[in-house]
Parts: sequence; structure tokens; C-alpha cells
Amino acid sequence: MTRALYSAASGMKAQETNIDNIANNLANANTVGYKMRRAQFQDLMYQSVLQPGTASGQQTIVPAGLQLGLGTRATSNEIVFTQGAFTQTGNPLDLVIQGNGFFQVQQPTGNLAYTRAGEFQLDKNGNIVDANGNPIQPQITIPPDAQAITIASDGTVSYTLPNQIAAQQAGQIQLANFQNPAGLNSLGNGLYLPTDASGDPTVGVPGSAEGMGTLLQGYTEQSNVSIVDEFINLIQAQRSYEANSKVVSAANDMYQQVNNLQR
Amino acid sequence: MDPLTAIAASGLRARMESLDLMANNAANSSTNGYKADREFYSLYVAPEAQEAGSSSTMPLIESPWTDLTQGTLRTTGNPLDVALSGKGFFSVDGPAGTLYTRNGNFRLDSAGKLVTADGYPVRGASGAMTLKASLPIDIASDGSIQQGGQTVGQLSVADFPGAVGLLKQGSNYFRAVDPDLTPAAATGASVEQGKLEDSNAGSAQAAISVVGIMRQFEMLQKAAQIGNDMGKQAIEQVARVGS
Repeated sequence: MTRALYSAASGMKAQETNIDNIANNLANANTVGYKMRRAQFQDLMYQSVLQPGTASGQQTIVPAGLQLGLGTRATSNEIVFTQGAFTQTGNPLDLVIQGNGFFQVQQPTGNLAYTRAGEFQLDKNGNIVDANGNPIQPQITIPPDAQAITIASDGTVSYTLPNQIAAQQAGQIQLANFQNPAGLNSLGNGLYLPTDASGDPTVGVPGSAEGMGTLLQGYTEQSNVSIVDEFINLIQAQRSYEANSKVVSAANDMYQQVNNLQR
Repeated sequence: MDPLTAIAASGLRARMESLDLMANNAANSSTNGYKADREFYSLYVAPEAQEAGSSSTMPLIESPWTDLTQGTLRTTGNPLDVALSGKGFFSVDGPAGTLYTRNGNFRLDSAGKLVTADGYPVRGASGAMTLKASLPIDIASDGSIQQGGQTVGQLSVADFPGAVGLLKQGSNYFRAVDPDLTPAAATGASVEQGKLEDSNAGSAQAAISVVGIMRQFEMLQKAAQIGNDMGKQAIEQVARVGS
């Protein structure tokens, strides 16, 4: 019966992880470019009390055996990269990727990081930087007297100068994509780093043949957290936690009765 | 020991084992594709007792069976989440032979191969399948995977008649008891993309069966105690010589 105690405890621990994950999703429900995480569980190994297929007599074999499971564990909370909803902001440097892909930004360490949060701004030198001040790669610079900044769906950044009719091109935004985006490492601040699980990035211009998404100017991508779904998950997690704690107290009561057998 | 106490004791033991089974079901009420274990009791009658007409029948968990009823399908929207509606299992190339699972929480590895959450390749009709993450993935209800208008593979869905000979391996996998057994292709299952199958062990059901197990345990404990008291009285009172 100690198995029951530990199985139930593993269930309670798994539900704690589940609720931690739900809390983080809910806390980031309004974070631009946030991608929800979903906790996954697996059953643990089984203890074979009676092996199926063994002989139960001269002529007969045990048809199913007795296997007692030893509980559950949280295995992963993978990132779910479904598209979030778009909000119109009117800011010319707010970008949404419609489809697959990540913006590439350079961290202060010099390494590249990848993000879906397309809230870009200009720094004092006119470079396009993300909300953390990391410059977009390849670097794009807008002169201070630029008038209207236009970013086309293929990532071409252009602007007009005062008293000029022809638009000037400042560069083209490139996107990176991964074979397995769910295997990216979350850095926080909306940034991701590649890992062995995600594979190396393939870089291309938006809308290119590699299946990159296209850009949409003047919008931001909301998080893909569904508050309704998270609350339903929360109710389920709480009920499951409760049921597991009931099992713990049942096992405890049964032990007590065993101890009372001898009066 | 007198038969009453012995039977009650074996009943107590059996109820403890059922709590173990139930605890595992309750712990896995959030595990995708988990199938609940249920027990089936049989009466053990000793060969010597069979002729004597004795009431010494002890309950034994003879065969806990895995309840393969369909779990609820939950929409996730993730194109690589697939659920089975109906009988069958996805076949997976495990490290030591073929494994079977109902947990269709698949992903692509860094080389684009379709794998399970543990990284085991998912078996298609012709071996492992390699997909392109850059193109949309469409999985039809017969398990065929299409990308860019071309069929790139087909999930193989295996079926075991009556689900006999399947052992739980842990981590949501089942394995065949007899490794040479080749399952038939499933006929009644349809593959649903963007959905996952919930565990079929509900926490409400677990809470109810806990109450049942506890009450039965209490009853058996009382029976054991009565047996004990009777033995005690037989020793202490019957042997007393009246004065």
C-alpha cells in the first residue's frame, strides 16, 4: 500500500507543476508575442507482481498478470507555436509574422536570439531595436529625418526623406525558422535560443519559398493563451490534486486500521 | 488461523492492492492517452477444500485489466497533436523494439523526423517519416500525412484483437507480451489532427472508488477482529471450568 501513498504523492506533485505552468500562461496572457506552454505527463514504470504469460498450471498460463503502476511525472512543458491574435497599434515599427518564423536580434553578448515579439523601436543611432534594445539582424538604420517608414510584407524597409518623392530602401528584415520550434530554449523577455533539439536556424526573407511567414506592419501579435482553456485546465488540475490527496488520506486511514487489528 | 480471519486478511490484502491500482489511476488523470487499470477478482479455492464443501474462498486480484475505453478528445490546435478515435495504437520504434501508444503528442526532431515526446520515431506505413517544418502539415483521418499537396507518409495504426497480450511499459507506452506478435492494421480508428486524448481515469471516479475501498477495508477489518475475538473467547471461556 506504500505504492498508493507514493503514486498519489507523485500525482499531487505533477498537478503542482501543472498549476505552475497554468499560472505562468495566465500571467503572460497580455504579453506580446508570448507562446503558451503546455504541461505533459507520463505514467511511471510498472511493477510486475505477476508476469503475464507465466504458467498458472500444467496446461494454463496467466492471461493478463498483475502490474501495479507507480504514479505519474511531468515530462515536458512544450511551447505551442500557434498564431496569436493581431492588435492594430498604428506604430509603423510594430510587426507581426503571419505564419512561421522568428525575428533575429543580437544580444549584448553578441549571440543571436530569436523572438516573435515584433514591438520594434529606434535607438539613438537610428537602428531598429527590439523592446530590450537588442538590434535586429541584419542591422537596419533609419536616418533621423526620415518621414514615413514602410515595411513591406517581404520585409523590405523603406522611408522617404523630406522634399523627396522617391522612397529610399534601408534594408530587408530576415526571418529564421527551426525544424522543431517546440525545442527552443526560452530566455525570458520573449527571446528564444536554439538547442540541439530545435536544430539550426534556416534564414530567409519573409514570404520566401522556405515557408517563412509574411510581415504585417502596424500590428502586434497577442499571446496565444486562451484564458477560458487555462481556467478549465486549472479546475481539472485542482480536482485532480484533491482526488490524489483523498487517496493519501485513505491509505493513511487503512494503515491505521491495520494497526488497530491487534487490540 | 481460523478461516474467518484468514479470509478477512486476504481480503484486506486485496483491497490494499486495489488502492494501489486506483492511486495510479488518480495520479495519471492528466496523462494524455492513459488507460485506467481495473481489477477483476476471482475466488481462490484450495484443491483440498474443493471437495470438503468448505467456505474457504479467498479473493485474489487475478487479472487487473486495462480499460481501453475511449478518453475524451481535447482540441489543442497544434498540428502535430493527433488523437485516435476508436480502437488502435500508434506504433513507435522504441529502443528495444516496437512500442504502442495512444498519446499522439508528436513533434519533429532537429532532422525533421516525426518523433514522440521521448524522441522515439513514429512508425509509418513504410518506416519513419521525415516532414518539413516550413510547410503546413495535414493529417487525414486515415492517417495519411500531406504536405504541399503531396502525401509524405502514413501513420500506421495497429490493432490488437481484444487488446490481449499488451503490457504497460510506462511513459504512456504499451508493448506486446509476445514480441513476435504482429498486430493487424486497425480498421475502426480514425486519426484526428490537432487533438489529444485525455486520460480515461477521471478524478471524480477515483474519489468515489476510494470511499468504496475504504468501507470494504473497514468491514474486513471488523471481520478479522470478530474472528480474533471468537478465537479468544473459545480459548478463555470454553475451557473455563464452572465453579
